Amino acid sequence: MAKILIPTPLRQYTNKQDSVELSGATVGEVLDSLTSQYQDLRKHLYNDEGKLRSFVNIYVNDEDIRYLSKEATPLKDGDTISIVPSIAGGR
Amino acid sequence: MIRIESEAWKVMVEHARSTFPNECCGAMLGTIEGDVKIVRRAVPMENAYAGAQNARYELRPEDLLKADREAREHGMDLIGIFHSHPDCDAYFSETDLKNSCPWYSFLVLSIKNGEFDHANCYLPNPDQTAAEREELVY
Repeated sequence: MAKILIPTPLRQYTNKQDSVELSGATVGEVLDSLTSQYQDLRKHLYNDEGKLRSFVNIYVNDEDIRYLSKEATPLKDGDTISIVPSIAGGR
Repeated sequence: MIRIESEAWKVMVEHARSTFPNECCGAMLGTIEGDVKIVRRAVPMENAYAGAQNARYELRPEDLLKADREAREHGMDLIGIFHSHPDCDAYFSETDLKNSCPWYSFLVLSIKNGEFDHANCYLPNPDQTAAEREELVY
């Protein structure tokens, strides 16, 4: 089982749970499972083409999956998945 | 509505003053009680933008991850992001909007001649095409 930490503003779509435990062999599988279980969450994480939104970063423990195998990143029991946005700006 | 406790407010203003004339950035941690977000702790972060920082800022996702963990450890939530506009008003610019995230409140601090001038808080919409003002109390 992997533990997915849910950012505060998205907990309204997960019955107010701050984390959800799901099984899956890869990050993609677990995220699919998460967004199938909580369908309203999907549009917040994925765009219309079914790709993760540009500002959404996924970490497995301390590693950004972009530098691992992206959504094919394998998971082991006890891994923690974090959903972290990219934020920038300027005047 | 978002209410900022005095210690958190001081930390943000001081971070904005000390980084002037560059933009500062950081995270706001706190609790949500009904419709009111209460910022109890401000976490100053390094501006990671690689170019001129007097008009741009960038947060490192790993810094945000760390702040989120800190919030959870202390029974708080990551509820917002702050940054400064040096010698410029506290509006939510096109750059702010396009690089924002609709999940959080965005506090903008206007720093003029190195001193705090005014602040506004914004809530970007999910498509990042507009941001509405959020009532701010500090």
